[in-house]
Amino acid sequence: MDDPIAPIGRVVATELKPSTPHQFYFWTARESPVGIGAIVRVDAPSRTVYGVVTDGFAYSDLMTPMHAVLGADGDPVAAADAPSDRAEIRLYSAAVLRQMPEEPLQPVPLGAVHLASDADVVLALRMDAYTGGDRPTGVPVGVYAAGGSESPVYLDCDFLLGPEAAHLNISGVSGLATKTSAVEFLLTSIFQAFPRHKGSVAAVCFNVKGPDLCFLDQPAVLGDADRRLYEAMGLAPEPFAEVRYFAPHKPDGVNLNTLRTHEALAHNTEPLVWGLREVLDFAEVLMNRDDVDAKADAFIDFLAERVVGREYQDDMLRSKPFLVESFADLEEFFRCIFDFMEVLGKGGEVWKTHHLATIRKVRNRLSNICTRSKGLVTDDGSANDLPWGRFADRSVQVLDVAGLDPLAQDLVFARVVSKLREHLERRDLGVDHVVVFVDELNKYAPADGPETYVRKMLLDLSERGRYLGLVLFSAQQFRSQVQRRVVGNAGTTIYGRMDMDELATPGYATLSPATRIKLGTLPKGELMLRHPHFTQPIFVRFPRPPVMTGREGVERFPPAADLPFADAVARQMRQLDRRISSDAVRALVDGRREEDVRRALSATRRARPDNPEAYFTAALGRRVLAESIAPARRGVTPVRRLDDPYAP
Amino acid sequence: MRAARLRNALALKGLTPATALPEASAGRAEEAAIQPAQLLEGDTLAWRDVGGAERCPEPLAFLDGVQRLEPLAYLGSSPLVLVEVAAAVRERRDRTLRTVVAERRQVVIGRPAAIAAAGESLAGLATAALGEETPPHPVRDMADAGRLADRLRGELEIRVGSRFRSESASWLIVDGSLSESPAWAADPRMLGVAKSHAALPFDGAELERYLRLPGGHRSSLFQPRSRSVAPVHAFALRLWPWEGKDLLYGLVRVELAPANGTSETADRLARWILAERAPISAPDRRWDRLLYGIHSVEEYLRAAR
Repeated sequence: MDDPIAPIGRVVATELKPSTPHQFYFWTARESPVGIGAIVRVDAPSRTVYGVVTDGFAYSDLMTPMHAVLGADGDPVAAADAPSDRAEIRLYSAAVLRQMPEEPLQPVPLGAVHLASDADVVLALRMDAYTGGDRPTGVPVGVYAAGGSESPVYLDCDFLLGPEAAHLNISGVSGLATKTSAVEFLLTSIFQAFPRHKGSVAAVCFNVKGPDLCFLDQPAVLGDADRRLYEAMGLAPEPFAEVRYFAPHKPDGVNLNTLRTHEALAHNTEPLVWGLREVLDFAEVLMNRDDVDAKADAFIDFLAERVVGREYQDDMLRSKPFLVESFADLEEFFRCIFDFMEVLGKGGEVWKTHHLATIRKVRNRLSNICTRSKGLVTDDGSANDLPWGRFADRSVQVLDVAGLDPLAQDLVFARVVSKLREHLERRDLGVDHVVVFVDELNKYAPADGPETYVRKMLLDLSERGRYLGLVLFSAQQFRSQVQRRVVGNAGTTIYGRMDMDELATPGYATLSPATRIKLGTLPKGELMLRHPHFTQPIFVRFPRPPVMTGREGVERFPPAADLPFADAVARQMRQLDRRISSDAVRALVDGRREEDVRRALSATRRARPDNPEAYFTAALGRRVLAESIAPARRGVTPVRRLDDPYAP
Repeated sequence: MRAARLRNALALKGLTPATALPEASAGRAEEAAIQPAQLLEGDTLAWRDVGGAERCPEPLAFLDGVQRLEPLAYLGSSPLVLVEVAAAVRERRDRTLRTVVAERRQVVIGRPAAIAAAGESLAGLATAALGEETPPHPVRDMADAGRLADRLRGELEIRVGSRFRSESASWLIVDGSLSESPAWAADPRMLGVAKSHAALPFDGAELERYLRLPGGHRSSLFQPRSRSVAPVHAFALRLWPWEGKDLLYGLVRVELAPANGTSETADRLARWILAERAPISAPDRRWDRLLYGIHSVEEYLRAAR
């Protein structure tokens, strides 16, 4: 059948610029819709070749600039008055995306060049292998736009979420809403288009700065252009239906350390609170390289296996068994050891094969957790955690750790990813695949610097996570500053607008100069994409995500002011039951110790009882009235001894 | 003695220094002659400052032709030559030149015996026979074939140019002489620009004056004698200053229809042609006389083979 669309160029090949099986050149009219990144089709007898434009050249028949000067008599103004424009060429180089037939692989023939149609884009990007048939696995990632057409581009979820390949990495400069927006859009796409026959999927997002991910459940105001893109991809521009937010407390233990504290958003925002049990296994996260030695490790193992969370009897320390469930209990345990060593141990250096210095070091580091992670880690043993084992299909858990100390952020990240891994290994998380989104990857897995627990864990996740369904979506400004193996294992890579200095690093040497320039000037909403099915990087356009941006969200839902202790407790109780009166809660907590109130509140939140007020009251326990101690009786006035020669 | 010093010494003796003969300015050596022309403007040959370049305000087209000879075979010592002639008109609108008319023709030239010997292998090709007044000589026959190709190209140019003029009211500048065709010679919207000066219209002091025309000046109008069959008017125009280079450097002869033969019209047309110096047609070595539009037609014809 004749192609109704006229060619836009012709392949040219010379001895100096020959066609090869992987590259060719073509010329076009001066005015043509071809640009860097355009996908083209070359038609030749018995062979069709698809390519993507990687560079462009324009030159005239002028041999030397001197002739231009001569022609204008050295006057730049007169140069514009020349009655004729010089003959000029638009020459493009293109990298081959696909040849049909694939064998024998031959140089690109001299043929007519057409702009790719929708059907051509599907073939050029090999999307025909996974977007058709009974069990398609395509997930829209954006549209390829050129010459007025907008063709949807799909990623293969077998290569995005495993098991064939997995993980996604995004690079781009900050402030252009590229990285976060792209991930929000892609998660929307995955949740809507991930095929049911591939199982269930959920996402865990770490909000590490500002309000970026704080409003995923709120709709965005989209323009017609964005809606058209959604329609082209067959997606609905709707925010995430099931999102739960977790944020640690502030150091006061009741106000949440997040920008998502507006009352209208409180129904799915809850505290992230961990106790000793939760963090003990991750003590290594908080230790530096010098701290982590076999002795400290052995003592931590001893605590975890023999002491914490169970009765520990040691008559030498004290007659009553230890029940260590909180940092306060642990401190008591250490105190007993030190007392024993000082008094009964007669100044000895070793307790149960553990050197006293090792015990002191571990004690210092563990007690440091409470200090540096105040608000996240409580010393009373209560916890409020992610719904392990009850992850719902297409649900999002957001951990807002933006306000945490960097070390505490590491702790959250390490524990959450480890728990995800454990549950996915046991197949009892509730979903088959989990996407973990981490921004600022350069902070967690830097290219240089000391080996850290988190970096090792990220490396392990990137290398083995795909077999478990644990998928890392990561982002950073500068890819060159991230551990190569972590980003190298990402099957899919996305680039937003890039810093030119970053583009000058060796990692981008394979890109043509024009592609690098395009990356350096990419507008909002455009990305360059690498995916295992695409043999060359492809530029795509994606719509604004269907969720409110952090900036809009903060304006629409301004964070609530921090409340005094009693009011903050009342607010949390009212979140559990709107019928509870704030005055009643204030009366209940009046005069109580804050740690007792926090413990009762945590227990109520954990239990989610039918009558939260009654449960909270019971958890608080009977009010112990303070006894008034009578002033000491005046003693007997001493008798002045008159015979005392020193008496006044 | 080095040439530069020799030139200086000759200049002191009152001679005009020159460097190199501009490419193709001499035409065919055998045609070099003085063919006295009739002066039409003033009593003596004068230089006229045309007033600087002025862009033609109307669409302007350019006509040129090319030829290519390729030996095919010999019958004895008699060559059989494939000649390809082509001609085209490229019209400029909005500063962009586009091909509007183009024709191409292939002819096999040889002595009648050679053509007959080729038989059916020349089927589909036109043929043209060389004269048999002299015995076969490969060099002379090849030169004769070249002259025949010249004629065929000229005929094709006339056809293409006439076709263009019948369809368009645009001005047409022809590379060469207008007197090749009586219709052209009378066409008030055609100009011929000749680069070669084998035939010169004056002799003696007037020739010296003619050849020392300053840059941006034209000569008085004259009527070349040899063109009496299709009379045209003409003037010489210096596109680029010649001093320090050669007498023929940047010198063209502009031919126009007698209807345009007033001083004012000649000045205006000269200004238009001066404007066509830019862009210059380098790297062609004739760029001092070759208008860019004509160069563009040549490039098109060579590239479109």
